[in-house]
Amino acid sequence: MYLNAVTYNIPAHLFDSYQGRKVIVRSDNPNELVIYLSRANLENVLYAQLTSPTVELDLDPLLSWTCALPIDVLVRNPAAEYPLLYHFSRLLDKHPVRISIPVKEGFVKAVRLALALGFSVKLEVGQPDVCLIAEMAEVLDLYLHRSEVSQPVEYFHSTFLSFFNHQQSPNLWFVQEEDPEHFRFITNEGVETVSPRFGEIDWKDLKLIPGAHQTAPTLNKTECEGCEFFETCGGYFKWPNREFDCEGIKILFSRLNLAAEELRNDLVSFQELPGGPPA
Amino acid sequence: MMRNHLSVIFLPTNKCNVNCEYCFEDKTADRMSLGQLSTVIVKLLDFMDESSISSLTLHWQGGEIMTMPVEWFEQAHERIGALARARNKRVDHGLQTNMIAYTPRWNGIVKEMFGNSVGTSMDYPNLYRKMFRGGPDDYTRIWNRNIQSARAAGIDVGVISVPNRETLKVGAESFYSFFVDELGITDFQVNTPFPGGEQNDTKRGLELENEELSRFFLDLTDVWVERGLAEGVKLGPIDQLVAHFSGEPSCLPCIWQSNCADEFISIDARGFVAQCDCWVTSYPEYFFGNIFEHDTLAGLLKNSTARQEFVARPAAIVDKDCIECDYLSLCHGGCPVRTYTMRHTLLEKDPYCQLYKSLFRHTQTVAARLAGARVDRTDLRETLIHTGKGKSCGSSSQTTAAAGWQTQPLVQLERRKALS
Repeated sequence: MYLNAVTYNIPAHLFDSYQGRKVIVRSDNPNELVIYLSRANLENVLYAQLTSPTVELDLDPLLSWTCALPIDVLVRNPAAEYPLLYHFSRLLDKHPVRISIPVKEGFVKAVRLALALGFSVKLEVGQPDVCLIAEMAEVLDLYLHRSEVSQPVEYFHSTFLSFFNHQQSPNLWFVQEEDPEHFRFITNEGVETVSPRFGEIDWKDLKLIPGAHQTAPTLNKTECEGCEFFETCGGYFKWPNREFDCEGIKILFSRLNLAAEELRNDLVSFQELPGGPPA
Repeated sequence: MMRNHLSVIFLPTNKCNVNCEYCFEDKTADRMSLGQLSTVIVKLLDFMDESSISSLTLHWQGGEIMTMPVEWFEQAHERIGALARARNKRVDHGLQTNMIAYTPRWNGIVKEMFGNSVGTSMDYPNLYRKMFRGGPDDYTRIWNRNIQSARAAGIDVGVISVPNRETLKVGAESFYSFFVDELGITDFQVNTPFPGGEQNDTKRGLELENEELSRFFLDLTDVWVERGLAEGVKLGPIDQLVAHFSGEPSCLPCIWQSNCADEFISIDARGFVAQCDCWVTSYPEYFFGNIFEHDTLAGLLKNSTARQEFVARPAAIVDKDCIECDYLSLCHGGCPVRTYTMRHTLLEKDPYCQLYKSLFRHTQTVAARLAGARVDRTDLRETLIHTGKGKSCGSSSQTTAAAGWQTQPLVQLERRKALS
């Protein structure tokens, strides 16, 4: 889906300027989203993004909107703000909803509640320290082993699928919607950048972004060289600090890989039950 | 404001014909006229239009619903049908009655309006359900006679039962036998007691210890699995929890929804709107407003500070200890009315938390055991259950992040719609 097109994350007020292009439309105001999007063909809109969720936010415009456009809710301070996810749970009856959660101290609470309410989750992961890796491991355990979790947690889900299917899949740059070949972030002032995480780097200066294309020569001398997960990761965790130690990240990758292998084996055994699998 | 489907606990009369000591409703003599009914229905349909809601379920009760004349219902059904058809809306009806005033005259409207099905209530042993003249035995005798008469007429009778101290003494086996073997009931639900409404000695002693009550529910689960499951006996909420933990479609009660304020409202004979039947009859300070005094239901709900307290409750209590609970996705802090009537605040979790957790754990184990029996290979059972992603990862279409999160919730939405 959209693999060959550039998707622009744009502020809602620039919507008209990006007609005909693939877009993610963001605003801190549900009413503004509905006003701009209601008058347009939504074929090219990947999803709408609410950027500053608060409990005071009036969701009625989105709830009474008959279009079931997917909504991404970007939580800024997950440890403190996570209870407000209850406020957004009503959106699930009208829209597919994903909660984007920055990997900051205490973020696991936000993930637990988001999954309990039936939201999809995307981790805005960055370069996590040891404590955050421990929280990520807790989230990974929820994702892999808790039967009540029925929604994807990215980037775990795409990674798990690529391991499970033994397929060449888009790497984490794409999964995290930061691959400069496929995603651009348009600032509120209309400046085209790669993503907020890349600051002022011009999207044309791709060589500064290691691993985005798996061609950056600088990567060959880093931990990425020979890493068994490089194909899946693409050097994603080596930005912005190229000296970042991936040990914890690789443990998470290993657990995902092991779980995928276990499930594959289980399904094979299941099919081979005497008389076939039970109805 | 509400889900795609609107549910209303509807009390066209606040009057009752019996004198149960533990009733959580404070009764009045008010009854709704057909004209008032039409006004309420129009405002509900307006609200549905504004909120893009296509279907409505009216859960009719009182007071006691059968204190209203059969003819009133016949006309009500006709009026509601005409109003709904004109707005292209679907309206379904459910009936909850004590069955004390039931006569065969009700059979026609029960069939036509309520799908030939009624819900009623009885406890075992019956300690608190009484006539105005006569004790619990008289009540039980009349109730039993009437439900047998209704069943003989082909009406499906579902029963809600509330355990009391004597229930715990006689135990789950006797309780189950009374309803299923003795009365022939195959659809019943067990609710926990709470002391709603004006206090009396009975209500002050109504709360049961979590540990004893848990033992009863767990024993009842085992009795049902052994004797009822294969026979198709429905025993809520136990059967729905087992279905839930088996990965089957399930319909869990209102006390375990993420927020009951998003699920339904209640309207009484005076037009008052509140969260549910206990609130609308017994706690004026928690009324959302009066539907006859507001232009729109949407405006009434939006401007109600009382309603905001209900809406905010799960978020306000989740950080206490619910967030660490393994069953957060099932419960979200439980029932506001049980909390309020037993702890005098909305901002605590349900006092029956320990019972719920015990029941969740036990039914989860039962579901695993049943799955194991189906697979007939215990070594595979644990693996299949604990590798929860098996149910979704086989889909080859989920190959990108975007496709994954956009499609999966839609599946859930459809499943929820199918259940409603």
